[in-house]
Amino acid sequence: MQATLKVYRHDPDAGGKPTFQPYPLELPEDATVLDGLVKIREELDGTLAFRASCNRGFCGECTLRINRGGRLACMTRVASARTKEGEVTVEPIRNVRVLKDLVYDVDQLLWQKIKAVEPWLQPTVSQPEREHVLSDEQLRPVRNAMKCYYCGLCDEGCSVIPFDNTFLGPAALTKAYRFVSDPRDGARAHRLRAIGEPRGMWDCVHCFEADEHCPRGIDPTHRIMDLRDAAVGMGIKSGTRNPQVARHYDSFAASVKTSGWLDEGRLALETWGVRRIFDLLPVAWRALRRGKLPTPYRHPKRPGAERISRIFEKVERRSP
Amino acid sequence: MSYAFYPGCVSRGGCPELYPSAVTVAARLGLELEELTDVGCNGAGVLSREVSDPINARTFAKAEQRGLSTVMTICSTCTGVMGQANIKLREDPAYRERINREFLADEGLEYRGTVTVKHLLWILHEEHGLERLKAAVRRPLRGLKVAPFYGCYIRRPDAIIEGKPQRKQYLERVIEAVGAEVVDFGGKGKCCGFPILTANETNSMAMVAAHTGEAKGKGADCMVTPCPLCHLNLDGGQPKAEAQKGAPIGLPILHLPQLIGLGLGFNPDELQLKRHIVPTRSVAEKVQLLT
Repeated sequence: MQATLKVYRHDPDAGGKPTFQPYPLELPEDATVLDGLVKIREELDGTLAFRASCNRGFCGECTLRINRGGRLACMTRVASARTKEGEVTVEPIRNVRVLKDLVYDVDQLLWQKIKAVEPWLQPTVSQPEREHVLSDEQLRPVRNAMKCYYCGLCDEGCSVIPFDNTFLGPAALTKAYRFVSDPRDGARAHRLRAIGEPRGMWDCVHCFEADEHCPRGIDPTHRIMDLRDAAVGMGIKSGTRNPQVARHYDSFAASVKTSGWLDEGRLALETWGVRRIFDLLPVAWRALRRGKLPTPYRHPKRPGAERISRIFEKVERRSP
Repeated sequence: MSYAFYPGCVSRGGCPELYPSAVTVAARLGLELEELTDVGCNGAGVLSREVSDPINARTFAKAEQRGLSTVMTICSTCTGVMGQANIKLREDPAYRERINREFLADEGLEYRGTVTVKHLLWILHEEHGLERLKAAVRRPLRGLKVAPFYGCYIRRPDAIIEGKPQRKQYLERVIEAVGAEVVDFGGKGKCCGFPILTANETNSMAMVAAHTGEAKGKGADCMVTPCPLCHLNLDGGQPKAEAQKGAPIGLPILHLPQLIGLGLGFNPDELQLKRHIVPTRSVAEKVQLLT
């Protein structure tokens, strides 16, 4: 099989601009992109720098952008990745500092964010008298999250990080979930408050890109939704610096609970308050003129609204 | 075949032009709709699933009670949230049983797991047939350049597309079916930013500016979306996104039924194009020249 790997080359220490260097290769039909990179380094250009280890999708080291999408190089076949012209573009993932060629600094992308969620067990008692026995079912969510090998593909695919690299991101939030879901951990409320602050779980757009990117089947977006549901269940609906998030939840829930559906005018007013609404006046004025500004509290009940209300009451009675 | 029509809150709230245009277009195409009026908001990904799963199970049970097997939505978010709840309820009988027992039994309702949730966009392709849509076009929108914008929930997670990757091309096929030209761009499957409008408005507006700006830069006359929540942000948020970006964008955003309606020969006024925040005059003028 003929293919040309167009590989990102840049040595920041040496200066100059990044380039994509084409390497025409003859490869076996089942060759992976990593096979191609190894061939380049061994036979064509020993100066090419990249990271890889297990070569079987087990370590998460060879995370790269292949044809503009995040992939593991060892799990991506050249035959399926190449374009009609037989080309495969290989570059570092986005939002990282490149050290050389395809080698990048993972510290800012992953480790700093993971450290921020206190990735250690904080037991309810300091010295348990005996071992803490857990059922398989209790451990299932913990085990699922522990499958993460920090490849960074979820953060690479994240919709928010390209706009704001201070967002904690799905990898770190999945790490937080690992401890929040652990029955032995005693810092549940503390953790949910901490990741509820700005740049934490409420800044996630729940676009499910992370779930599509995760090679381990952890479904990080679902785990973030689990964290949010857990927080709401404990009455922790925002951090201290983003109280509008809690007001938004409460107003949303209150209008659905009373009328069966969403009172958007009320939601805006109760989330932002009258003062903030003035900031929105230019657009609100345009909306009003076009007859699309929902009037708060003029919101008739849907037929059967009392049944919806009863569902809320039952859930509220059940919550701790 | 009749569909259990679930219009959602926004189609009569923040986007009041959507509901009438959807109903008008459905009637012209011969889609029989039975609106579910006595059901609740699906939670929109905001409400905890502890609350929204029972509310959605109740909606599905109401559709079953009427003998209807497909719930038709006109919102990507409704499709995704209800679709995901439905997958869980259908695939986990024990869970469904618990929801039935705890929340629906006292109303004499039971969800048996027979309902499918589909967006109008999916119904057009998978049940109505695109050829029939093409045959109904009275005013091919020749020369109108339209950028598709899906909304996350109608594309992801993987389970929602039910093994049909072609669902990620449906908007393009509809744009072509009404005779318009597709403007492909990288942002078409990305997030519009609406879900974080409250938590982080700056990031939300940056997303609006990026996607509308990219489509505009590729020559789009307008964008079309099957999601009114995307519309709220891409249309309603565009002036603010422009201010944040410090550059004008001015890209009209159409709802899916509005684009189809234009192709079916309805006037821009009948489809309430004037109710948008970003003026749609340029689109209306271009379309009316075709008649």
